[in-house]
Amino acid sequence: MKTCNFFTSFEKEEKWLGSMEQKGFQMINKRLFIYTFAKTSSRRSIIKLDYRSFKTQDAFEDYCALFEDSGWEHIFGTINSGHQYFRKANKQGSEEIFSDTASIAGRYKRLSDMWQTLSFSLFPIGVAVITTMPLDSKTLSLKTPLSFVTPVLWFSFFVTFLLYFYFAYKANKQYKQILKG
Amino acid sequence: MEREKHLPLTETVFYILLALIEPAHGYLIMQKIEELSGGQVRMAAGTLYGAIENLVNLGFIEPTASDDRRRKVYIITEQGKRILQLDVERMNHMMSAAEEQLKKDRRNLG
Repeated sequence: MKTCNFFTSFEKEEKWLGSMEQKGFQMINKRLFIYTFAKTSSRRSIIKLDYRSFKTQDAFEDYCALFEDSGWEHIFGTINSGHQYFRKANKQGSEEIFSDTASIAGRYKRLSDMWQTLSFSLFPIGVAVITTMPLDSKTLSLKTPLSFVTPVLWFSFFVTFLLYFYFAYKANKQYKQILKG
Repeated sequence: MEREKHLPLTETVFYILLALIEPAHGYLIMQKIEELSGGQVRMAAGTLYGAIENLVNLGFIEPTASDDRRRKVYIITEQGKRILQLDVERMNHMMSAAEEQLKKDRRNLG
């Protein structure tokens, strides 16, 4: 089963995935906004999310091993997917993957940094679009099909840029809120 | 004397450094911390991973060779030992200052 969803809160995403497990669906994959679920009878409903990317395969393996050793099954996530999904594998051990406020907040900081980098990297593309395709009376006349290209490019660039910027801002706000307690 | 900026160490950092007097991988560090703290400090996986990364960046611990192909094994560095020693001295001073003041307090009461 495939379902489309989007979250800016790790806590809400964890809860949603947990409730899916209770209904008998376990997440096995995620691409952009599309979650793929498989039927399960396990009913182990504690799902936790970390946000981390890794420079090397070794570092990623070491990270997964630490979680597995401490009772967490790594359900989904790749070396550079950022989002790492874990399911509590047995009754022993902690029900949390973070044990202090700084690290609970830390995952939002890493998420915010990622969106910020992404929005900054869009900047040169935006400058290229603006300087090579000016919005003048000719392009705004919208008389030929081709004349739509420039306004559409301008519009989609600004929307994407603003969206990324908003996600960075939102994650950073959550980071600060958690730190404040 | 300028005070070392990393002092005082947090309880978790203190125990991680203490645990890594002998080489250990992530989960072993977690178990050792629980043992050394008499069950008072329990670190979750995500928190410990971040703390290890941070301590490697500070140069207080470093990866070391091991037979485990999957798990990285860490050990405390000379710099790590120095900071640990400084924090022990800091706490010793606090202990003796506290004992002295409390003794005075008891004498005043008696």
